Amino acid sequence: MSPLRDQLVSFIAALRAAGVRISVAESIDSMNAVAAVGLERAPMHEALAAALIKDEADRAIFDESFNRFFAAPRANRGEHPDHRGDAVSAAGGRGRPGENPFALPRDDALARDREEKSLPSEAKPAKQAAAARRHGAEKGKDAEPGKEAEPAKDARRLSDRMRGRRERGEAQAPEESPTPGIDATRVARIRAIERMPFDKFSDLDYDEARDALAPLIRRFRIRLGRRLRLARTGRIDFRRTIRAALQRGGALIDLNFRARRPRHVDLVILADISGSVRYAAQLMLELMAGARGCFRRVSSFVYVDHLAEADFEDGHLVMTPALDLYARSDFGRVLGELWERRSGLLTRAAIVVIMGDGRNNRMPARADLVREIVRACRGVVWLNPEDPARWGTGDSAIKQYAREVSALVPSRNLRELQVALAAIA
Amino acid sequence: MDLTREQISDGLRRALYVTNERVETAIFLALALEKPLLIEGPAGAGKTEVAKVLAEILHTELIRLQCYEGLDEARALYEWNYQKQLLRMQAGEQQGLRWEELNEHIFSRDYLLERPLLKAITAPSRVVLLIDEIDKADEEFEAFLLELLSDFQVSVPELGTLKAHERPAVILTSNRARELSEALRRRCLHLFIDFPGAEQERKIIELKVPELDAKLAAEAARFVGAIRKLGLRKPPSIAETLDWARALVRLGVRELDTDAVRTALGVLLKHEDDRVKVESKASALAPHRR
Repeated sequence: MSPLRDQLVSFIAALRAAGVRISVAESIDSMNAVAAVGLERAPMHEALAAALIKDEADRAIFDESFNRFFAAPRANRGEHPDHRGDAVSAAGGRGRPGENPFALPRDDALARDREEKSLPSEAKPAKQAAAARRHGAEKGKDAEPGKEAEPAKDARRLSDRMRGRRERGEAQAPEESPTPGIDATRVARIRAIERMPFDKFSDLDYDEARDALAPLIRRFRIRLGRRLRLARTGRIDFRRTIRAALQRGGALIDLNFRARRPRHVDLVILADISGSVRYAAQLMLELMAGARGCFRRVSSFVYVDHLAEADFEDGHLVMTPALDLYARSDFGRVLGELWERRSGLLTRAAIVVIMGDGRNNRMPARADLVREIVRACRGVVWLNPEDPARWGTGDSAIKQYAREVSALVPSRNLRELQVALAAIA
Repeated sequence: MDLTREQISDGLRRALYVTNERVETAIFLALALEKPLLIEGPAGAGKTEVAKVLAEILHTELIRLQCYEGLDEARALYEWNYQKQLLRMQAGEQQGLRWEELNEHIFSRDYLLERPLLKAITAPSRVVLLIDEIDKADEEFEAFLLELLSDFQVSVPELGTLKAHERPAVILTSNRARELSEALRRRCLHLFIDFPGAEQERKIIELKVPELDAKLAAEAARFVGAIRKLGLRKPPSIAETLDWARALVRLGVRELDTDAVRTALGVLLKHEDDRVKVESKASALAPHRR
């Protein structure tokens, strides 16, 4: 059984590396689940999914990894047509491309490439060994007719295949991390990207940060939901308290409180997407788009020298109308446009989040408008991706805005950005 | 008693629950590993039905806890029967009982009002416990459930710890009104039930509304599948599809043309804007035109 266990452990490690969160308890569950349903491919597939995948969004990653790890026997593989393919499920190779919200990490794709290339040369000895063993099994069967149960056979075939894979794996895996379960390099890379200042970002880093974003979004959503929910009034509902007391001879034993209403928060996001801060702005917009459900209404805008509505389609930022990204940013004018055209959004329930460096190219800052907006809304929070040491230098008008906004928070990297956003709600 | 997978898929079929391998395996595992099963999916896709059918297969009682905002332990677990205790105390005073003697009486099982969770734990045989719409309950309640679901025991301060004789089969359902905590997810097996495909829905209609003509059933299933894709405010549930099929029978509809679609649309759609949206596209969606 132990090759199967090892295989499952490395399967789980691969899922973790792809961003699925799996606890030790869940991995033990998955082993028990496989023990319960047996090794037929389709039930095993569903059993592992039930034990390991707790969010339907991860299902696509799971399906793909499963197909990679537990490949269905090929039609031309194996010499016993009567036994071949009984375990090949209807579900074999069932991928659902439309559902994959997170791209598979690049290292997995690389590994797959490598595996496919190495298959023709290295699969052969494994296959021969498997054939030999099967031949032996056939002999054993002749000696003791009827003793060889079908599941045992399946098991052997499966473990044969896995042994083959293992041998292949050993031949080609010197550079991979020796401990299965923790892909240390990947974790380290995510950590690094979380701490990397936005102004040092390249396009490549941005892509990598977006890969890291998927699990972050989920954690963020849970955190946010909790914060919004914990806000309670704690006022006694007099009528219900008295009614309850009537049943108990008038003794006020149970206090009934007013039902908590979920706090409704409207969010208005303004993000500067001019060259200097665009990575920070896009990552923030994407993070917030993932947490959209936690708010009553989210209106996202991007700006350079004008205001434009922002939306996410398949992970790409779409803005209407399109902005000239190379124009000189003018936040004063943007504030004016917001105040005149979109004042309907600025209500008591609204929190305005502004992401930008406040470098206004020496145009009028219009901090007075920020003051008006603060008065109309619940609050205005400014996230500044610039190093605080540089605030107020050169053409930065951030000091003028700082006097008016409810909070000014540095968010130089992904980690600071997350903390700042969670604190807003 | 442990069921095999075949028995479960058999039982599901006998209970007229049309399903797929994924659902069968998940139910089997929940029973085999004695783990709670968390079912997610859109409203009306048949999540709650799984628990009902499971109770039927196991020939046992279904204990249901409907969650809502503000649900607390007193409603979910147990409560002391205060009126009864008061009466007992008054009677005791007249008999001249001392406090210690009284105390023993009024904090015994007789004065305990069992709410669904405690009922499921103290049941003499294995029951099915359905915790419906867990996403509607508060976070505190979810945290409280964690303890219960991992050990299946409850401590009542006056009585001590009550442990389940037979672990109940637990089904939790969620519509994802909010994210459930990772801790809860970790303790459960997970199953996602989506709306059935046209073919599966046709089977459901044929099983549950046998009066409907087979050809019409197939058309109805396709039609419902098509309008679910329109991005409605509330896509029709399976139960509503069945109601609609019954309505078609009662209206004596022979073929699903534009008029037939329009007349009974209220059974299927419960929002005015949804109705307008579908009506405007009715001629394109209906299999037959008039």
